[in-house]
Amino acid sequence: MPNKYQIAILGGGPGGYVAAIRAAQLGFKTVVIDKENLGGICLNWGCIPTKSLLKNVEIFDTIKNHGKEFGIYTKELSFNFTEIIQRSRGISDKITKNVELLIKKNKIDRIRGFGKLISQNEIEILDNDGKKTETMSADNIIIATGARPKTFPNIPVDRKSIITSTEAMNLAEQPKELIIIGAGAIGIEFAYFYSVLGTKVTLIEMLDHILPVEDAEVSQTLEKNFKKRGIEIYTKTMVEKAEVKGNKVSVTINQNGEKKTLSADKVLSAIGVTGNVEGFGLEELGVELFKNHIKVDKKTYQTNIPNIYAIGDVIGPPWLAHVASAEGIHCVEGIKGIKNPDVDYDNIPGCTYCQPQVASVGLTEAKAKELGYELKIGKFPFMASGKAFAVGEREGFVKLIFDAKYGELLGGHIIGSEATELIAEVSLARAMEATGHSIIKTVHAHPTLSESIMEAAANAYGEAIHI
Amino acid sequence: MDIIMPKMGESVNEGTIIKWHKKVGDVVKLDEIIFEISTDKVDTEIPAASAGVLSEILVKEGDTVEVGTVVARIKNSGAENSEIVISKKSSTEKSSQEIQKQISPSGRNDNNLTSNSESSKQNVQGNLIEIAMPKMGESVMEGTIIKWNKKVGDAVKKDEMIFEISTDKVDTEIPSPEAGTLVEILVGEQETVEVGTIVAKLSVGNQVKVQEGNNEENKKEDVHEIKSMHDNFSKPVELHSNEKGIGGGFFSPLVLSIAQKENVSFDELNSIKGTGLEGRVSKKDILTYIERRKTAGVQVQVKVQEKSEERKSISSAITQQVYNAADVEKIPMDNIRQRIMDHMVHSRDTSVHVTGLIEVDMTRIHNFINSKKDEIMKSENAKITYMAFIADAVVKSLKKYPLVNSSIDGNAILQKKFINLGIAVAIEPTGLIVPNIKGAGDKNVIGLAKAIADIANRARTKKLTPDDISNGTFTITNYGVFGTIFGTPIINQPEVAILGVGAAQKKPVVIEVDGSDTIAIRNIMALTLSHDHRLVDGMLGGMFLKNIKEVLENFEGII
Repeated sequence: MPNKYQIAILGGGPGGYVAAIRAAQLGFKTVVIDKENLGGICLNWGCIPTKSLLKNVEIFDTIKNHGKEFGIYTKELSFNFTEIIQRSRGISDKITKNVELLIKKNKIDRIRGFGKLISQNEIEILDNDGKKTETMSADNIIIATGARPKTFPNIPVDRKSIITSTEAMNLAEQPKELIIIGAGAIGIEFAYFYSVLGTKVTLIEMLDHILPVEDAEVSQTLEKNFKKRGIEIYTKTMVEKAEVKGNKVSVTINQNGEKKTLSADKVLSAIGVTGNVEGFGLEELGVELFKNHIKVDKKTYQTNIPNIYAIGDVIGPPWLAHVASAEGIHCVEGIKGIKNPDVDYDNIPGCTYCQPQVASVGLTEAKAKELGYELKIGKFPFMASGKAFAVGEREGFVKLIFDAKYGELLGGHIIGSEATELIAEVSLARAMEATGHSIIKTVHAHPTLSESIMEAAANAYGEAIHI
Repeated sequence: MDIIMPKMGESVNEGTIIKWHKKVGDVVKLDEIIFEISTDKVDTEIPAASAGVLSEILVKEGDTVEVGTVVARIKNSGAENSEIVISKKSSTEKSSQEIQKQISPSGRNDNNLTSNSESSKQNVQGNLIEIAMPKMGESVMEGTIIKWNKKVGDAVKKDEMIFEISTDKVDTEIPSPEAGTLVEILVGEQETVEVGTIVAKLSVGNQVKVQEGNNEENKKEDVHEIKSMHDNFSKPVELHSNEKGIGGGFFSPLVLSIAQKENVSFDELNSIKGTGLEGRVSKKDILTYIERRKTAGVQVQVKVQEKSEERKSISSAITQQVYNAADVEKIPMDNIRQRIMDHMVHSRDTSVHVTGLIEVDMTRIHNFINSKKDEIMKSENAKITYMAFIADAVVKSLKKYPLVNSSIDGNAILQKKFINLGIAVAIEPTGLIVPNIKGAGDKNVIGLAKAIADIANRARTKKLTPDDISNGTFTITNYGVFGTIFGTPIINQPEVAILGVGAAQKKPVVIEVDGSDTIAIRNIMALTLSHDHRLVDGMLGGMFLKNIKEVLENFEGII
């Protein structure tokens, strides 16, 4: 007698495990299937381990580069690269175990194995050797199998010399030279991490700026900071090929028609991801795909087969853990018949955890203008914030963009210390449809960095006090 | 301020003052009854349109004067200007008064107005007539301006059509009450306003100045005041007010900001169905509402909103269809469609529809029409058709079975002693309207033929009056013209039955000739009667249908 579930979830990442817990809360008999530890890329090979790594180098960065400012001197400052990596792996292990406990606590069945759809209601579980261990049936199936780094033929990833983010956070030795292809969040975070530790880092970006999706002013500010750190930056630059030559990798680049060959111990390919859509029966069932991702209705997350749903990275951009979780919850609530507003894809914060941190939500200035809005823009530099002064984090600014006509907060952009924490206020303000004066008239605690958000809003209306 | 004899109905041209409730020197409050009148249609009390002191009585009790005659004067405490005003209340309550005249240099007739209006208006010279949204029928409370035929600055002749309106009963054109110059348009195309709202100003004086350019500010103030004068509810939302709406709902600062900028009232805000968290009205909801308001009438929408939302949610729950937006064109419904939608659902929800069918041999009438139509066209200037004969048979049958010519009022039956025979007329491209033939009981076949041609023609050219579509007692719908053999029509409320006319076809039928059965080719037509089973049972419905059949089949060839 095969097990029968109301909801079966393929993949235990931040989409899948969150969906499972919400499903259990709503009373569904639920199973989550993943052959790896729960938590997916995020907890095992993404968000959490990289943030651990970055904390190590932030401390090192502060003492090494700003110790004198704080009156802290060290006779000999050093670090152990292996221990830095070990700390990160240890945190990852602990936190994924916590997720396993959460699943247990919610009485969700947890199957360690590879789930394969054999019909629209049946899943076969395979072990590591591909042998069938059991079969189960489910009324509803949620696919949350995530995505993986995309590879390109001209940049042949061998996971030794030409690596992806997975290897980059688990290297045995610190590379002396590192070329990073792609200056999105992943590329930028590793550039910061390795450059602080003393690796000679080169960043290559095809578009006009590093962090090309961010507001141009933010990107330019970060670019200046990175250059000061000694990171070499090539923007508007195409990579023609990367080749392993002995212990080195040579990378041929083309910047506005000018060709150049660079060389390094390691090359990190951080350009694009692709959905995990192969090998678990989607083709046989006729689940509709587009560009290596599963096609869904982004209101219900239904695929073209009504009882098969898909959420998270496997359905395409913006490939963010918090989006996957939100989609998982909305999907399960929809199955239950709970009516909530759809996930607001226009109000998804994006964060990059280098120093200074970068965080944003909503429209950039350029995009808002392109859409025809007349703008009121308020900016507040951390230079003018008492708290920023006190903690020695004077770099960066808050920039808020308002629609001049109705006062809508169209977008918020922050670069600076704790930007990734500060952005939540802007997201909430947008979700609640606050106007500039809702923020200005909300009393912010002093001294905090968050006062800068209030001041930026006030600046847009000519009411800022400290500038 | 002058008080005039109000116009109490379409055909009412004079009125008799029965009683004065006030005497000269009395203080009169706004809306206080000052006199009673009697016309050949109604007796009513007339309230004061302005507060002040009754300074003069010009028409004694018992005297009959023409509509528009000044009967008294009220001296306003503030304004000294003489004005002619038709009491607003009386016009909305009783009359089908079309045009409110307010001739005055300052245009003020209401002491409640703020005084800053005085200065803002002084640069307008000459006499202004304010043109109001006319009342197009008893239960019609609002109208939508479909089209302005004139623009600001245009010269307008008396009785020249200046704009077209659409109400929930009828679409029509509105003539100018006087010759003059259109100086202001206050209500734009596709906007819906309450009956009585001033929609335009016409200057009839000599020194006409068109308000424009630097008078923009004044214009805005005027619009604002007129709105508040006529409709306290449609005050635009004020920012910095309590963020809780009238209905206790929460509106976000952004929604309030948009409402203020786009003149969306709290009343309207409360009527918007929210799709945000906890049913909150979101930015998207209000922008969608404003977008829709541009294409259709506001008030109409407010009214139908709830019902249609209800219907939507029911139907979506059942069908759960998911469309690709590119495959579906979303077309906003025009007013007439929305009204048909509501009327149909209302009728289905009100009446218990049952439909009976009878076949009628139309051969005699068919032959008669073929042989006599040219002759009758020549002698009577009337085109005789099946419909004229059917209408005649219906009238005769209604007289025999008057319960079919009734409506239901609570637990009472209103049996009508007159027959106003409705004829459903399709209007291109997708409209439908049911004007009725007044006094159909007094007409013969030729009279009915002429009347059918007349209302159908006026329906198609938008020349119907509110009278044409009110007080129908029974309806005929002829879907046979499209070839449909039979149908199950929906009753035109508040009537209790409707006759559907199918297409006549040549059919082989068994008839009895000289006592023996024989097969003959005859013109056979199916008539269906949908009747409201609350009042008309199967027996009555059947007898009524049978009577129509007998009248038609036993036609003697004399009309």
